[in-house]
Amino acid sequence: MRLTRTQMHLLDDGTESQRKAMQILLAVGRLADAPRLIPITSAHVSGVSYKLIGDPGLEFLEDFARDARVSVPTTVNPLGTDLAQWQALGVPPSFAEKQGRIASAYEAMGVRRSFSCTPYLIGVRPTFGEHVAWAESSAVCFANSVLGARTNREGGPAALAAAIVGATPEHGLHTDEGREPTAIVKVGVKPRGIDYSLIGLVAGERVDDGLPFFRGFRGTEGDLKWLGAALASSGACSMFHLEGVTPESRRAHVKGLKSIAITDRDLAAAKRAHTDGTEADMIGLGSPQLSADELREVARLVDRTPPRIPVWVFTSRVVRDANPDAVGTIERHGGRVLADTCLEVTLLEHRFGTVATPSGKGAYYLPSLSRQKVVFEELKTLLERYT
Amino acid sequence: MRIRARGIVAGRASGKALVSSTPFSFVGGVDPATGSILNGSTGILGERLDDRIFAFPTGKGSTVGSYVLYGLGKRGHGPAAIVNRRADAVVAVGATLAGIPMVDRVDVGGLRTGDRMVVDGGRGTVELPDIRGKRVVTAILRNRGRILIVRRSEKVGTFRGKWSAISGHIEGREDPKHRAIVEVREETGIRAITFRGAGDPVLARDGTTIYVVHPFLFDTPNRRVRLDWENVEQRWVRPEELDRFETVPRLVNVVAAVLKPSA
Repeated sequence: MRLTRTQMHLLDDGTESQRKAMQILLAVGRLADAPRLIPITSAHVSGVSYKLIGDPGLEFLEDFARDARVSVPTTVNPLGTDLAQWQALGVPPSFAEKQGRIASAYEAMGVRRSFSCTPYLIGVRPTFGEHVAWAESSAVCFANSVLGARTNREGGPAALAAAIVGATPEHGLHTDEGREPTAIVKVGVKPRGIDYSLIGLVAGERVDDGLPFFRGFRGTEGDLKWLGAALASSGACSMFHLEGVTPESRRAHVKGLKSIAITDRDLAAAKRAHTDGTEADMIGLGSPQLSADELREVARLVDRTPPRIPVWVFTSRVVRDANPDAVGTIERHGGRVLADTCLEVTLLEHRFGTVATPSGKGAYYLPSLSRQKVVFEELKTLLERYT
Repeated sequence: MRIRARGIVAGRASGKALVSSTPFSFVGGVDPATGSILNGSTGILGERLDDRIFAFPTGKGSTVGSYVLYGLGKRGHGPAAIVNRRADAVVAVGATLAGIPMVDRVDVGGLRTGDRMVVDGGRGTVELPDIRGKRVVTAILRNRGRILIVRRSEKVGTFRGKWSAISGHIEGREDPKHRAIVEVREETGIRAITFRGAGDPVLARDGTTIYVVHPFLFDTPNRRVRLDWENVEQRWVRPEELDRFETVPRLVNVVAAVLKPSA
C-alpha cells in the first residue's frame, strides 16, 4: 500500500496505539488489496455492548485507552444497558460496572458518549461524497444510500483504528465501481409502515452481499432507515439505490442486471417467517434507535390507545433529553424510554420471553441474540390488540 | 522448501506447526485463559497454541475473536504465527493487536502438525526446513462434464498404480501453463485443447516431500486418448466420482481448485 509521509510517521514513530492502529489498517487494506488509505471526516465505532464483547473486549479497550486518542469526530454504538436506569431494569451490578468501564475507556480515547446506532440523527451527517469509516451495519447503509457518503462496513477495531489515524483503506464502497448496483429489485407494492422493513428483509435474502437497485416505490428518510436496517440484517448489504429517490440512483448503471420481483405475497410470507411468538410480553420499539419525530409519534399513539403490556422505546440520550413530554407520556402509560442502548443488545431476555416489534432488524436478531420469540407487527395494530 | 504466501501481519517467527483441518473461531474454539483447543472438529482437541505456528483454512464466527486473540497473546498463550488459506478480518485484526505474524494464500491441507516452520509476515513466505518441495503441474481435461483420469504405470518414479490427472514436473523456470500443455500432448496425444483457467497451488503431501501442484483446466472436443508409457488405463469420470478411485494425494482438491475457483 502507498502511504503518505504522515502515515509512515505514525507507523514508525507514533505512540504505541498509533502504530497499532496503522498496522490494523494495513492488515485490513492488504486483505482487500486497497492501494492506499483515504482521509475520513468522521468515524463510528462498534464493539461496545458488554453483552456482545464480554471480558476479552473490555480488557483490550482498557489497555488501548492508555494512550489511544481519536483524531476525527467519533461516535460509538449502543451499550448493553441504559447507564442511568440500569438498577430499575434489574441489570446485575457486575454487568453495569463492566459496561460502565467500557464506556469510560471509549471516552478516554476522545470518543463522544453517543451510544447510538443512529449518528446521522444526532448531528453527524456526512455530506454527499464525503469519506467516513463507520461500523454498525444500519448506519453504514443509511450513510451510503440516503446521504451519499462513502463507507465500507467496518469492523469495530478497524473503525477505531481509522478514527485514530484519520484514514481508512480505499476499496469497495469508497470507489465509484464499488457503488454500482448488482441487481434490480422491482417492488410491486405501495409500501406503508413495516412494509419498508419487510422489503429490506426480503431483498437482503435475495441479493445476499450484492447492492440492490430498488424500483417502483418512494419513501421518506425515516422509511429508508427501516428498509436499510432490515436489508443489512438479512443480507450483507451496505448500500442500496432507490430509483428517483436516493442521490446516486440516477448515475447507477442498471443495464443488463438481473431483475428480482417482490410482491405483497413475499412481504406477507416474510412477516409470517419472522413471527414465531403468539402472546407478547412487551412491545419493543427501536433498532435502530428512534428519531425525535418517531418518539413523539409513539407517545401520541400510546396516549390514544394505552396498551396493557409495557412499551419500551429505545432512542439516543440526545433525543430522550430533548423530548421530556413524549417521555413522560410513555412512562405514564407504564412504558419506558431507554437511552444509551438498543433492543437486541440490552438485557431484556431475563424479563420478557416474547417481544412484539415493528422493527425488521429487531425481528431478525432477537431470536438469535436474545433467544426471544417475536411478534412482528405494525405498532398501531399491536396497541389495538393489547389494549 | 519455501512457499510464497501473502503477508498480512509483519514479523518473523519459527516453531512447530499445529494444523486444524477446519475453519476456526477464536470464540469458543480455544480456552482464552490457557490457549487449549476446545473444538474437537479441528482434529487437535486439547493441544496448546503456545509458541506453535497455527495453521487453519480460514477464520469464522464472532468478531469478538479479535479480542480473544489479543488476550491470548498478552498472557503468552498465543500462537507464534498464523498461516491461513484465506485470511479474514477478525483473525487479521486480532493477530495485529497481539503482534502475531500472519500470512495467507497457503494451502494448509499440505501441512502436518509437528512440521518445523518459519513464517515471515513481512516478506510473505513460509519455510519448511525439513521438507523437500517439488513443483508439478496437473492438467484437468474436461469433455461434456467429465474429466480424464489415468492410472500411473509401474515405470514411473512415484505413485505407481494410483489414479491421477495428467501431470508432470516443472523444469527450472519454465512457465507452468506451458508445461501443462506439453504434458497433455505427450501423455494423451490430444492437441486441440482450450485453456479454461488456473487454480491456486495445492500442496500434496508425501512423507517429507510436498508437491506444489499448479492446477489447470482445459476443455477438449473429443475423448480419444492415446496413452504413452507413463499410464496404463484411462477413464472419463464425473468429478464427484473421484472418491471411488485410489488416487494420488489430494486429487479431489486439485480438481476443486479449477472447477470451483473460490473454494
